[in-house]
Amino acid sequence: MTPAQGGVRGWAATRKGHLSRLRFTSLRLRLVVVFGLVALTAAVSASGIAYWLNREAVLTRTQDAVLGDFKQAMQNRAGTLPSHPSQDELQRTAGQMANSSQRFSVLLVAEDDNGRTVYGSSGGLDGFSLQDVPASLRAAVNKKQSVDADSGNKYAYHLYWQRVVEHGTPYLVAGTRVIDGGATGYMLKSLEPEAKDLNSLAWSLGIATGLALIGSALLAQAAASTVLKPVQRLGVAARRLGEGKLDTRLRVSGTDELADLSRTFNHAAEALEKRVDDMAARDEASRRFVADMSHELRTPLTAITAVTEILEEELEAETGSMDPMIEPAVRLVVSETRRLNDLVENLMEVTRFDAGTARLVLDDVDIADQITACIDARAWLDAVELDAERGIHARLDPRRLDVILANLIGNALKHGGSPVRVAVRASDASAGEQAEVVIAVRDHGPGIAEDVLPHVFDRFYKASASRPRSDGSGLGLSIAMENAHIHGGEITAANSPEGGAVFTLRLPRDASELAEESEKDTAKNGDA
Amino acid sequence: MHVLVQESKPWPAMGQNEPVPSLLLIEDDDAIRTALELSLTRQGHRVATAATGEDGLKLLREQRPDLIVLDVMLPGIDGFEVCRRIRRTDQLPIILLTARSDDIDVVVGLESGADDYVVKPVQGRVLDARIRAVLRRGERESNDSASFGSLVIDRAAMTVTKNGEDLQLTPTELRLLLELSRRPGQALSRQQLLRLVWEHDYLGDSRLVDACVQRLRAKVEDVPSSPTLIRTVRGVGYRLDTPQ
Repeated sequence: MTPAQGGVRGWAATRKGHLSRLRFTSLRLRLVVVFGLVALTAAVSASGIAYWLNREAVLTRTQDAVLGDFKQAMQNRAGTLPSHPSQDELQRTAGQMANSSQRFSVLLVAEDDNGRTVYGSSGGLDGFSLQDVPASLRAAVNKKQSVDADSGNKYAYHLYWQRVVEHGTPYLVAGTRVIDGGATGYMLKSLEPEAKDLNSLAWSLGIATGLALIGSALLAQAAASTVLKPVQRLGVAARRLGEGKLDTRLRVSGTDELADLSRTFNHAAEALEKRVDDMAARDEASRRFVADMSHELRTPLTAITAVTEILEEELEAETGSMDPMIEPAVRLVVSETRRLNDLVENLMEVTRFDAGTARLVLDDVDIADQITACIDARAWLDAVELDAERGIHARLDPRRLDVILANLIGNALKHGGSPVRVAVRASDASAGEQAEVVIAVRDHGPGIAEDVLPHVFDRFYKASASRPRSDGSGLGLSIAMENAHIHGGEITAANSPEGGAVFTLRLPRDASELAEESEKDTAKNGDA
Repeated sequence: MHVLVQESKPWPAMGQNEPVPSLLLIEDDDAIRTALELSLTRQGHRVATAATGEDGLKLLREQRPDLIVLDVMLPGIDGFEVCRRIRRTDQLPIILLTARSDDIDVVVGLESGADDYVVKPVQGRVLDARIRAVLRRGERESNDSASFGSLVIDRAAMTVTKNGEDLQLTPTELRLLLELSRRPGQALSRQQLLRLVWEHDYLGDSRLVDACVQRLRAKVEDVPSSPTLIRTVRGVGYRLDTPQ
């Protein structure tokens, strides 16, 4: 069970890490995409232009040479043919024409003496026939141009050419007619070598584009890293700062905007740290003041308390022996000294909690016995109904439990009125929850107003502002709460549906974990 | 230094034939010293006072009081140090008077050998009750004796010997040992021991028991860190065993 849980948790953690890295790389991704697009556009347009210029240059050159040769051959060979040549003549001439350096096929078409169309082919290239010549080209070749000196046209027939692709191979097809009758010549030239050259050029350009893309991606990565690493560091630093590590600073390097940002961060962190330090110092000073003050009050109070007791005994012992004018004064001094004592005691307790010096002195106690002793010691037995079984043991600080109980019950008696009902329940440790002792203190008073309820545990909070003085110090419930907290427990206040206020105290059955230090001392003494 | 003896008032808790206990109060604050002296004298004690630890130690040698009430915060050598110095030679009861709020000071005080402590502002009645409880610890009760291994407790002479040698125990340590030896093999909770030995109410500080057990072990056990006589019963308290 446990390892499986751990595994799942581990998986979730890894997943979370991945997610966060993904989130982090989104800017990286955007940078890479933008860089890639820029590189692609640049490379593609440059290669495209280069390719097209090259292609045109290569093709035009080849074409010009071929067409020049063809023209020459037509003039030299076909031009010398009779206007109605025989099949053999045509065939021979075609063979001669094709036998040039440009290696093209020739097809000569003419009419023989009998008005029959005769063909002369140089052969090669799968037998060049008239079908291989596009009809449009044939029409253009055979079209007689009007010879007009004005328009500058001096020839009745022109040389036409066209590029065709057959079976995946590009060809140059050209044709012309011998002026003033005679043969019509066509030629077919494979452009495959050129196409191959252009193909390899296209490949090179493609590879160059690919390399440019990869290079741009790498550059983008590098750029992203230089930008993102400081951003990431800033993020980590900000998180540390948020966790309260106020001495977090960034190393500033360079003079760019990110360095400015780091510098700003450092300034902010410094200012924050100073402010927090100032506030902590002020807080500490005021706490020290209260602590010192209660300490200073304690010394004269000790002397006064010791002497007051003598006065008190005097009051109790022989009534009438005291001057009736002085007796009320003495009574007032005695009662107010006790009040002052309680107040200073509570103040000291509060400063102990604030300073974090309060410690638990743990012992095993029977809850029911403890409550009985608490109400017995304060002579509340008649006013409190106790609903508790003996034998509910808990490991806690008996003095602090007494403080909590005395404050809760005392408060219930003062504000709610008797009978106060104290109920104790114990819960055993179940899955995920530790064993608890739940003590509910319910009074039979009017309950607590809803707007007062959230403040009942506040220091010096008096339920009614019109009530100028109460017997309590105003710290009782807040001290009870602090004492519950130091045990790892809690007190909640609510109104009972049957009327009256209910204060519910929850304490762990064993507060040892929270008092490990005091526990360590106990363990030192132990041998078992 | 002055000793106040007020004999005109009857002492409520003590019989006329009982000797008047003499106390030494070491307290630096004049007002507290005077007030406590007044209060304690009224409760029926003979009180000698000293303002510093040095004066107190000097007075102790001259007067031999029954008990010392010692303030922790003293100019010069502090109360803990005074306590330690007294313990080097003397086993007489010491009650610490502490104005300190930190619980750790109580622990230091108990470790330095104090028998009990009260926190200021202290009521004279509480201090008086503590004083009487501490003094009662030295009182004899029965006339038998018991032995646990090499340890012999003579309840008639109120002495404890180990391997025939006398052990120097404070009245509190002796009382604790007597209470434990009265129920051999039976675990006593800290709260029970606080009631039996210290006569504290239900809010007694269990650290008193722990500190006293530790001091007692240092004196009676062969190896105080692995005790065979005074055993800890986890979650309950302590038990005195006869070693096997």
